[in-house]
Amino acid sequence: MGDPGGRYAAYTARLVDGVLSARGHTPSALRRAVLERAFGPHPLSKPVTSSPLSGTERGTGGEDALAAYVDKVARHAYKVTDDDLAALQRAGHSDDALFEVTVSAALGAALGRLERGMAALRGESSPPVPLSATRRGGTRD
Amino acid sequence: MRLRAVEHRHRLPQRLKLTLIRVVSGRRVPDVVKTLLYRPEFFGRAMCEWTQAVMRGPSPWSVGERELFAAFTSRLNQCVF
Repeated sequence: MGDPGGRYAAYTARLVDGVLSARGHTPSALRRAVLERAFGPHPLSKPVTSSPLSGTERGTGGEDALAAYVDKVARHAYKVTDDDLAALQRAGHSDDALFEVTVSAALGAALGRLERGMAALRGESSPPVPLSATRRGGTRD
Repeated sequence: MRLRAVEHRHRLPQRLKLTLIRVVSGRRVPDVVKTLLYRPEFFGRAMCEWTQAVMRGPSPWSVGERELFAAFTSRLNQCVF
C-alpha cells in the first residue's frame, strides 16, 4: 500500500513493517486495523475491507472511543485534546499502547493521502474522502 | 507532550541523545524529536530514513522547494512546521 512502485517504496515498506510488526504493547492486528481505518477510501473504488475496529469487535464503549480517536488523528489531528488522551488512559490504555495507536493512525492517514494524490496524478479518480465531506458539512464534529 | 512516556521514558541511548541536543542547542527539545527517539525500532528510525531520502536525497526538486512543500502541507493540516 502507498507508492508501491515508487522511488521510496523500500523506505515506505520498512516504515510500515516496523509499525505493524515491531514488538509492542498492542497486537499487530490492532495496529493493522488502525492503519487501514485511517488510510481511508482506496483509489479505484476498491471495496473497503472490514477491519476489527469497524466490524465484529466493535460495540463496546472502549472500542468506539478508540475508533473515534483514530478518526480524529487521521482527519484533523490538531483537534486532539488533553481530555481525549486522559479519557483513553482512564479506559485502561497505556501510554505505549496509545503511542502505537497514534503512530499507526498517522501513518495510515499519510499513506492514504499519498496514494490518492498519486492516483490523481495518474489521472485516476478516487472515491470522496471523509475529510472533504466533513469540511463541507461541518456537522460531524 | 500528552503521553508522559514519550516525554520522559526514553531508553538510555536515546536519553543521552536528548540531553546532548538540549545542552548543545540550549533549548527545550522539540516534541517531534522526542517522538522520533521514543522506541526508534517501532517508528522513529525508519521514519528518519524515509524523511532523509525524501527531503535530502536525489530529486528534481531542490531542498528548499521540498521544505516549502512540507511547510505548506503542515499549514493546511494546521500543524506547526
